Amino acid sequence: MSSYCLKYEKGDEVRYISHLDFLRCINRAIKRSALPVSYSQGFNPHTIMTVALPASVGTTSGAELMKVSFDEELTADIVRDKLNANLPKGLHIIKAVKDDDNTIKFSKINMCDFIVKAETETEIDIDVDAFLSLNEIVINKRTKSGEKQEDIKAAIYALEVVERDGLTYTFKMRLAAGSVYNLKSATVIAAMEKYIEGFKVSFMQEHRLALMCDGKELM
Amino acid sequence: MQSIDKILSKVQKPTRYTGGEVNSVVKENAESLIRFAFCFPDTYEIGMSHLGMKILYSMLNSRDDVWCERVFTPWVDMQEQMREHGIALFGLESRQPITNFDFLGFTLQYEMSYTNILNMLDLANIPALASERGDDAPIICVGGPCAYNCEPLADFIDFAMMGEGEEVLNEVVDVYKAWKEGGKKGGKIKYLEDIAEIEGVYVPMFYSVSYNADGTVESIRTNNSHAKEKVRKRIINNLDDTFILKNIVVPFGEIVHDRVMLELFRGCIRGCRFCQAGYIYRPVRQHSRECLSDAVDSLLNCSGYDEISLSSLSTSDYTELEQLTNILLEKTEKEKISLSLPSLRIDNFSLELMQKVQKVRKSGITFAPEAGTQRLRDVINKNVTEENLMKSVSMVFGGGWTNVKLYFMIGLPTETHDDVAGIADLANKVLDQYYKTPAEQRAKNINITVSTSSFVPKPFTPFQWAPQDNMESLMEKQALLRSLITNRKITYNWHASKTSYLEGVFARGDRRLGKVLMAAYKNGCRFDGWDEHFKFDAWEKAFEQSGIDPNFYNMRERSYDEILPWDHIDIGVTKKFLMSENEKAIHEQTTPNCREKCSGCGASCFGGGVCFE
Repeated sequence: MSSYCLKYEKGDEVRYISHLDFLRCINRAIKRSALPVSYSQGFNPHTIMTVALPASVGTTSGAELMKVSFDEELTADIVRDKLNANLPKGLHIIKAVKDDDNTIKFSKINMCDFIVKAETETEIDIDVDAFLSLNEIVINKRTKSGEKQEDIKAAIYALEVVERDGLTYTFKMRLAAGSVYNLKSATVIAAMEKYIEGFKVSFMQEHRLALMCDGKELM
Repeated sequence: MQSIDKILSKVQKPTRYTGGEVNSVVKENAESLIRFAFCFPDTYEIGMSHLGMKILYSMLNSRDDVWCERVFTPWVDMQEQMREHGIALFGLESRQPITNFDFLGFTLQYEMSYTNILNMLDLANIPALASERGDDAPIICVGGPCAYNCEPLADFIDFAMMGEGEEVLNEVVDVYKAWKEGGKKGGKIKYLEDIAEIEGVYVPMFYSVSYNADGTVESIRTNNSHAKEKVRKRIINNLDDTFILKNIVVPFGEIVHDRVMLELFRGCIRGCRFCQAGYIYRPVRQHSRECLSDAVDSLLNCSGYDEISLSSLSTSDYTELEQLTNILLEKTEKEKISLSLPSLRIDNFSLELMQKVQKVRKSGITFAPEAGTQRLRDVINKNVTEENLMKSVSMVFGGGWTNVKLYFMIGLPTETHDDVAGIADLANKVLDQYYKTPAEQRAKNINITVSTSSFVPKPFTPFQWAPQDNMESLMEKQALLRSLITNRKITYNWHASKTSYLEGVFARGDRRLGKVLMAAYKNGCRFDGWDEHFKFDAWEKAFEQSGIDPNFYNMRERSYDEILPWDHIDIGVTKKFLMSENEKAIHEQTTPNCREKCSGCGASCFGGGVCFE
């Protein structure tokens, strides 16, 4: 058995596919490519693969990560090229790395970089630094046991405006991610709406730039 | 391209609207191509499961001069967003509004989708009435089983194609191309006159219908010299020689039939008297196993699907089934692909086959005795005996299946309460078979599901003259069954009779129903096939507003000499044959299947298929 870690793009064309849609899609691409993918044992055999923190519906990404195992020895180039020949527009493997010993550990992911485009309802100048220097950034979080207050300040590692064009702000964010604590960019936008007077977002789109461990990309 | 990004984040299942699926066809130089919108008047998940659409989409796109795109009815949430943001109904491939396409082709699979057609035209900003559309508006055409009596849609469509589309669709597109390149000389009428001469093409506006004082049809006359007195359906005599489907679009989201469908044959030899498909698709013609074996390889390779389903009206009647399944099993075992076999008659061969293909899961198996007593099964010519059924179910129980579904119809002609009670009786006998099966062979638990649907008389069947059972009577019969099915191992499901009632009106309707349809749409009717959207009171209001009594269409017994609204359509099977079948039904006499003995239905006029085997 040989295992590969794949870094792939999720483009505009497939922005709205869900994680389940993605799994179906990649499984069919593997089937079309005739790569000797490994199946689990049991009554309903399924392909052996893992996706790291799957991007949510509506998010594009330039740095998704997944692992897949094959029954035969292959090369990283073959895996990448055969899959790319069979993926729909918008999904593209950027890089494949052989990872038989599981040296790339998805469990180590603790932060992600995002580009967030937010269209505001009215034209407004905002001061991001002032927002970040608040003593606390508290949001209401809905949980199973009702609403809960939570301070997300520590989970925002970086936030800056990279572009502004009339109503549209483009932010770059570095946020806590992974199994310990996961912060969504939409939550940050909601917090900004709460603390910055007159800042109201009518439409936002998120693009993931990197999945990282302590500021370093996994691959 | 319209920007729909902002609304997609607000709707359920946005991949219904994004296109971009594997094998969807995007073409360059869109302006120079004939733009064809293949419209399925229901949701993406249902439309994408339809084999006919896959065939015609692929066939049209195999032409260099045509770009065929898919269009489905947007779900209500998307419709709301589109109207709010001024986004016109678009083709999934180009995302361009279909407002200025050359053709909109609607497939008519069931009557309850008709309001969705008006809705889609509205969303595309295209006038619904054919008379209000100018020469630059798209040509609106229809096909599919309900097109054989598309009279209720006569006001809205430009033409209908009767029968199988592989040839006729290319022919009407060829004529269109010449007409368009010639500057649309003579206007839309000229184009319609030209295609009216093609076999299988029906242009409703070229026929004038007059009515008697009692509301029945007095005459149907052509009012244009290009129109044929009788429009005969088109069929493909040799299925291996026509366009073979080798490439299918693979959806992102799950659809109803999410697998490779392999069409074994068209038509059915059985001649069940309630079944429209059994008459309109005659004669039976089948693909060779070599052709199917090739096709399935390309379909699997291009799609990456891991399931194949055989498709036909009665799988067991495919003459090379054993050889074909051997070929398929070889592929499926190697590639971890599963094979499903719907519409099988249960015998030793098929049971063994099912055990081979379904190694693990022994889930449900469905039988369709259709009626509860032998008398009524003879009336409908469903040539299944109680003995057949008991033998089959005991085999199934011996094989360890746990769920058996029994499918019946209520409201069949000549039905009595004894026939209805017979359904419960039959279900109990099936359960007895389970207990008679040795405990070490049978499954630990058993669930028998009895489903009844309400019979709707359809045109081009022996029951086209019969009155439909009324809703009170149907509900009484459902109540009777509920009271008779007491065993907790038997579950009873039934279908709402209001939908069947309306289906019955439109199935045998005439063109006066067009205004009812429009009124119903204006009253907010859409997705009538979906229980959560079906508004019966809005329909009742529409009939009232239009001054039309729905009972005239479905509750009345028609006489043999009455001119039926679809009498100018010729499906090959003669009216005389349908009459004799109806007489035999009344006298509880059965008719042998096409391979046992030819009964002279008339379908041999096409010069092919089972008639000449």
